[in-house]
Amino acid sequence: MPENTFDILEIDRGTVTAPAGCGKTHLIAEALTRHLGSKSVLVLTHTNAGVAALRSRLAKAGVPSSAYHLMTIDGWVIRLLSMFPKRSGANASLLKATRPNYPKIRKAACVLLKEAHLYDIITANYDRLIVDEYQDCSVPQHAIVFYAARVLRTVVLGDPMQAIFNWPGNEVAPWKDMVCKHFPLVAELDVPWRWKNADSEELGKWLLDTRNALVNGTPVDLRAAPPSVQWIELDGSDDYNRQLEAARTNSPQAGGSVLVIGNSKKPQSHRDFAARTPGAITVENVDLRDVTEFAADFELDDAEALEKIVKFAASVMTNVGPDDFVKKVQSQKSGNARTESNEAEVLALEFSERPSYARAAALLSGISRMTGVRVFRNEVLRVCLKALNQCDKEDADSLYETAVRFREQSRILGRAVPNRAIGSTLLLKGLEADVSVILDTAHHDAKSLYVAMTRGSRKLVVCSKTPVLNE
Amino acid sequence: MARIRNIEIRNFRSIHSLSWRPSSGINCLIGPGDSGKTTILDAIDYCLGARRNLTISDADFFEMNVDEPICIKLTIGDLEDGLKSLDAYGHFLRGFRAETGEFLEEPEKDAETVLCLQLEIRDDLEPKWDLVSDRATAQGISRSLSWGDRQRLAPNRLGALSDYNLSWRRGSVLNKLNDETANASAALINAARIARDTFGDDAQKELRETLKTVRTTASSLGIEGGTDAKALLDAHSVSFSGGTVSLHDAKGVPLRNLGVGSIRLLIAGLQRAAAEKSSLILIDELEYGLEPHRIIRLLSSLGAKETNPPLQAFVTTHSPTALRELSGNQLFVLRKTDGGSHEAMQAGIEDAAQGTIRSHPEAFLSSRVIVCEGASEVGFLRGLDACFSSNTAYRPLAARGVSLADGGGVSKVIGRGQALVELCYPVAVFRDDDKQPDAAAETAFEGAGGAVFKWQPGQAIEDAIFQGVSDTAVEVLVAYAIDLHGRDSIDQWIKSASANALDLDAFESEALVGEISQDTRAMLAKASKQKNNPWLKNVTAMEYAGRTIIGPEMKDADQDFKSVIAAIFRWAEDA
Repeated sequence: MPENTFDILEIDRGTVTAPAGCGKTHLIAEALTRHLGSKSVLVLTHTNAGVAALRSRLAKAGVPSSAYHLMTIDGWVIRLLSMFPKRSGANASLLKATRPNYPKIRKAACVLLKEAHLYDIITANYDRLIVDEYQDCSVPQHAIVFYAARVLRTVVLGDPMQAIFNWPGNEVAPWKDMVCKHFPLVAELDVPWRWKNADSEELGKWLLDTRNALVNGTPVDLRAAPPSVQWIELDGSDDYNRQLEAARTNSPQAGGSVLVIGNSKKPQSHRDFAARTPGAITVENVDLRDVTEFAADFELDDAEALEKIVKFAASVMTNVGPDDFVKKVQSQKSGNARTESNEAEVLALEFSERPSYARAAALLSGISRMTGVRVFRNEVLRVCLKALNQCDKEDADSLYETAVRFREQSRILGRAVPNRAIGSTLLLKGLEADVSVILDTAHHDAKSLYVAMTRGSRKLVVCSKTPVLNE
Repeated sequence: MARIRNIEIRNFRSIHSLSWRPSSGINCLIGPGDSGKTTILDAIDYCLGARRNLTISDADFFEMNVDEPICIKLTIGDLEDGLKSLDAYGHFLRGFRAETGEFLEEPEKDAETVLCLQLEIRDDLEPKWDLVSDRATAQGISRSLSWGDRQRLAPNRLGALSDYNLSWRRGSVLNKLNDETANASAALINAARIARDTFGDDAQKELRETLKTVRTTASSLGIEGGTDAKALLDAHSVSFSGGTVSLHDAKGVPLRNLGVGSIRLLIAGLQRAAAEKSSLILIDELEYGLEPHRIIRLLSSLGAKETNPPLQAFVTTHSPTALRELSGNQLFVLRKTDGGSHEAMQAGIEDAAQGTIRSHPEAFLSSRVIVCEGASEVGFLRGLDACFSSNTAYRPLAARGVSLADGGGVSKVIGRGQALVELCYPVAVFRDDDKQPDAAAETAFEGAGGAVFKWQPGQAIEDAIFQGVSDTAVEVLVAYAIDLHGRDSIDQWIKSASANALDLDAFESEALVGEISQDTRAMLAKASKQKNNPWLKNVTAMEYAGRTIIGPEMKDADQDFKSVIAAIFRWAEDA
C-alpha cells in the first residue's frame, strides 16, 4: 500500500489533502500502528457512523486499541464539558437536554479550550491529534481543533471536494482560507489506491483528472472516459425506464455491490426505485422519521391499529396490498371469508382480538414472509420491530421513546451496507461499492457529483442530458 | 512523582481535626509525646496505602465517638500523566493553589491540577476510599483510584519492622525499583523434582523391609502397581511460593539479619532509587537504631539538602541530630489549639528559628524553653539546677522538660524567643541589662506570652553575681578565677579595672576582715567582665560557679539577686 514521502507522525501541525480512495484511512492506520509511547493519539472525526467505520478499519489493520482514542469532535467536547462544566461557562441544562444543542455546546467547548486551564491534562492524555474528514468541519468545530492544537501536535486530513455537509447554519471551515492557513498544507495524496487495488487504475486516474476539472470548473466529457464509465442519455423520451435500467446495473464482479445515487431532495423516489429494483434496499436518513412517526401515532386500543400496521408494512415492503389485506382480515373476523387464512392473516386476527406490541411485531414479520413480498427498507423495519418487542416487556417506556432510543443506538452503531443500496449522496458518503450509479447529474453540484462518482471502484454509470458535464 | 499537597483529618484517634499543607520534600513532625505525630503517619498510610481492607476498631475514633465518621482527605499534586487520565479521573481532576490552600473545583491554568482522595469510616467500621469532587457528586459519579494507581502511589513505611522490604514481596521497595519480577517458580519446581528423585533413591534403602512387605502383599493380592512400589516424596510436600526470594550477603546470610539501623538506612536508600515510581515515604522515629552520623546519612539520602527533593517524606523524630540537619521549612511543630483542633506549624527559615535549630535543636524537642542571652547564662542556670538537684524534693529542669537555649547575644535573644513563642512553646528570655534589646520587639514578645527575666537595671550577669552573692561566695569566686587564670593575671586585671585603686592583695585582706564593700564588688565585677579575658564567660566556668559556689550560698545572697533567680525557677516549675 502507499509509500508516502511524508510521515504524519513527523508533522507537528499541518493539513493533508486526501482525494477519495487515495489511502487516507490506510495512512492513519499505518501511522497509529507505528505509534509508540504510553500516551494515545486522539483521533477525531465527524459522525458516529464515521467513528464506527474508522474503528472497524483500524481494527482490521491490527492497530492496537490502546494506541488511539477515537471519537467524534462533538462527542469529545461533550465529555470534556461534562467533566469540567464550570470552566466552559456552560450551564448544567446544556448537557442534560435530551436533544443536544450542538451550537451552544461547541461554543462552550471553545471557551473551555481557549483558556489554558486544561492544557496540562490534555497533554497528559494524548500524544497528538489527528482529525479525519476535515472538510466537514464547521467553523466552530475548526475553532475547537485550532485551540486543541495549541497544545497537541495536530494533523488534519480531508478533501475539500467532498465537503457536502455545507448548508446555512452549518458553514464548513473554508479549506484554503481557514484550514490551510491554520494548518499549513503538507501534502496531497495522488495515488488512486482503491481503484488500483480493484484492477481499474484507469478509472481511478480518470476520476482524479475529473476532480481537477471539477475544482477548476472545466468541462468533463463522458465520451472520452475509459470504458468502465457508462453514459446513459436522458433525452426526455423514456427517462424513468432508462434510470430504472441503470439502477439494475450488475457489478462486473460476481456478487459485487452497487450504490445507486438518487435525488437527495426526494427520498420517496429512492423508495420507488428500490421497490422496482430486485434486491435493492434504501439507505435511510439517520432520523428514521417514518419509524418515529409510526411510533408516535400507534396505539394498541386504536380502532385503526391493524390498518396502521399494515400500511406501515406496505411502506417498507413491496407487494403488500394493504387495502385488500385489511378487508380480507375483516371478513374473516365476521365469519364471511370464503378462502382459508394464510399465516399473516392468522397473525392479523390474533392481533385484532388481543392487541399487544408483541403481536403487532409478529404481524409485521408475518407480512414480510408472505409470497411475493420483499422488504426494501430494512433499517426502518428492523428498528420498528425492535421497539415493538421491547415495548411488550413490563415497565417499558412508551413506544415512541423506545423507538427513539433504538434509533440513537443504530445511529451510533452505523449501518451494514446492503449489496444494492439506494440513497442520496449525503447518505452514501463514506460507503464504497464496486459500481456507482448516478440517476441524474442534474441533482448534483460539483462536490456532490465528485462524491457520487467516486463510490464505485470498478464501474461508473452516469445518467445525464448531455455527455459533457460541468459546462 | 506524586506529592501530598494537603492533608485533612477528622475524628481519627487523638486528632479531632487537622488541616495541613505539608512541604514537598521532608516533613519532620515534632511535638510533645501523644500529640498525634504517628496518627498523621497512620492517616496517610491508611488513606493512600495499597490496601483492600483495614482493621478499624471503635478506639480509632476520636474519643471513641463512632457517631462522627473518621475522614481522611489527601490532596495529591504533581500528578503523573496516568493520574490525569480523562477516562479514569476526568470528573475528579481539580485545581489547587498551594500558596493559599485554595481549592478550585475544576483545574485552572495558574493552579496545580490535583486529585482528592478520601477515606471515610463510619460506625460500621467499613473503610471506603473515594475520589471526591463536587461535580462528580452532583452527577452521581463515584470511583476510587484504580488498584494499579494505588499501588504506584502507596507510600513506603519504615516502621520498626521493615525487613519485608528486603524480599521481593507485594509492596516491597525492591519491586518498585524496576519492572523485573522474581519468578522463581521454574527453578523451584526443577529443584523439587531433583529432590524427589534423590530422596527416592535413599528411601529405597532406608525403607527396604517395609517396601518388601508392601510388594509381597500386593503381589499376593494381585494388585498391580503395588508389586514394585517405591517410596517418594509427595509432590505437594515440596513446594515454594514465589514471594520467598530475598536479599542475602556473599555468605548467604539474609540481609534482614542486619541491624535495625542498617536495614532502615538501606531501605531508605533503595526508596530514593525508586523515587521515580514511588515518591512517598513514611518514617516513624527517624533515628531508631542509628548513630548520629548515620542519621545524617539517612536524611541526606532522603534529600534533606536538595533544592528539588526526590522524595516526599513524612518523618517523626526526637533526635536533636536530625533536627540540626533540617531547614526550618522541613520542620513542623504539631500543636493542639485551644479550640481542640490540631495544627502543624512550620518552623520557618527566618534567622531566628533557623539559628535555634542549628545551635540548640533540643529547644524544639522540649516542652518549655528558657532562651538565655549567652553561654554564661546557660552555664549559670545549668549550674544552679545541678546544685538544687541535691535536694531530693527539687525536680531538675530536665525532668520538667525545660530546655536552656543559647540566644546568641542581646541582639538575637528576643528574636529567637519570639520564633519559639510563635510555634506555641512556653518561652522565657533570660538576659542581662547592661545592653537592652529592641524595646518594641521585647514588648511584642511579652504580648505574645513570652516571659522576660533580667537583672537589675544596668546589670550584666557579672555585676549581678558580684553584687548579689554572699561575701564567702565572692571570695571563692575570686579564688576560682585565680585557679583558671593565675594570680598575676587576676591581680593585673583588678588593678586596671579599678585604676589602681584596688589590687588582689588588698581584696584578699578586705575579705579576710569580713565585710566586702559595694565598691570592691563593683570593681571585681568590672574586672571579671573585661572584654579580652573574661573570668567566667563560658558554659563550663559559669556552670561550675553556679553549682559549687553560688548555688550553695544562695540563702545568704542579696534579695534582688535571689528574687530574679527564684522567678526563673518558679516559671520553670509551671511545666
